Amino acid sequence: MSVQAFGQWLYTTPAAAAIRETVWVIPTVQAIHILSIAVLVGSALVSNLRLAGVFAADEAPTTIIRRYLPWMWCALAVLLLTGLLLIVAEPGRTLNNAVFWTKMALVLFAFVLTLVFQKPLLNRQSADNGPDRSTMTKSAAWLSLGLWLAVIFCGRFIAYT
Amino acid sequence: MSLQTVLQSIQNSGLSLWIRQNPAIFPIIESLHVVAITLVFGTIMIVDLRLLGFASHRRSANKLIAELLPFTWGAFILAVVTGSLLFTANAPAYANNTQFQLKMLVMLAAGVNMVIFHMTAHRRIAVWDSVPPPTAARLAGVTSLILWVAVIYVGRWIGFTLDILF
Repeated sequence: MSVQAFGQWLYTTPAAAAIRETVWVIPTVQAIHILSIAVLVGSALVSNLRLAGVFAADEAPTTIIRRYLPWMWCALAVLLLTGLLLIVAEPGRTLNNAVFWTKMALVLFAFVLTLVFQKPLLNRQSADNGPDRSTMTKSAAWLSLGLWLAVIFCGRFIAYT
Repeated sequence: MSLQTVLQSIQNSGLSLWIRQNPAIFPIIESLHVVAITLVFGTIMIVDLRLLGFASHRRSANKLIAELLPFTWGAFILAVVTGSLLFTANAPAYANNTQFQLKMLVMLAAGVNMVIFHMTAHRRIAVWDSVPPPTAARLAGVTSLILWVAVIYVGRWIGFTLDILF
């Protein structure tokens, strides 16, 4: 079954109809989606700027990651859930949309960068302020922040393509 | 000159026309508007939660506020600039939209809440900088959270209730 056929089938399901026909559901789910990405990007901003060495340099990176990474994971879970609901409600708007798939690729990329460069810091000793990290970590931090911002941009842009 | 005449002259301006005539512009501005809003709310929320007594990445509330504020203001300026451009594209429709009016009111309330916080609890921040925050600070934090969530919620509703898109 092609993506298009799947989208058409999804559109006809009772669940999709229920979400579409209840006036407040889509705006509410979208608002929760936006609030969650705000939680995520706030955490990503602080964490990545710290890893890049330009923010709160007197605090150990580990302390910062320990505070914000759980918020990022929770926000991501809510984003996936609300995002899934929005796809079910309006499959045509997303599944056939190049910007949507670009956004998904960017999310995956940013997620992998977070796993590789932030998660390992959880196991480090807090007191280990250490020398400021490698050029690799710094570049990854800037890249990852840029990716999340691009994800948000694409997310809104989906509606227009 | 009445409000409607002002709105109409904004609508007739070259800038407004330019946005409406280039189909790619409006979506780009709106996407940047959302990026800005998420940064505003994302950074404000860290401070609000700290005011409620949640641990942040540093112990000192004053230091936290001072180091996050430039990001919040920077993003807020971007949100205002992009928001004004969106408004310019369709001034009368936005001005007459209930959700838009509500959003402006709620933002005003958030501003008042911030001013009150700075005139009260923030003045004595040295006293509670690294201990549990006083009631006035907690009140400011929870009020700010509620108001900004409301701003985003009614903001999203504008897109569903605006009379004409172009």
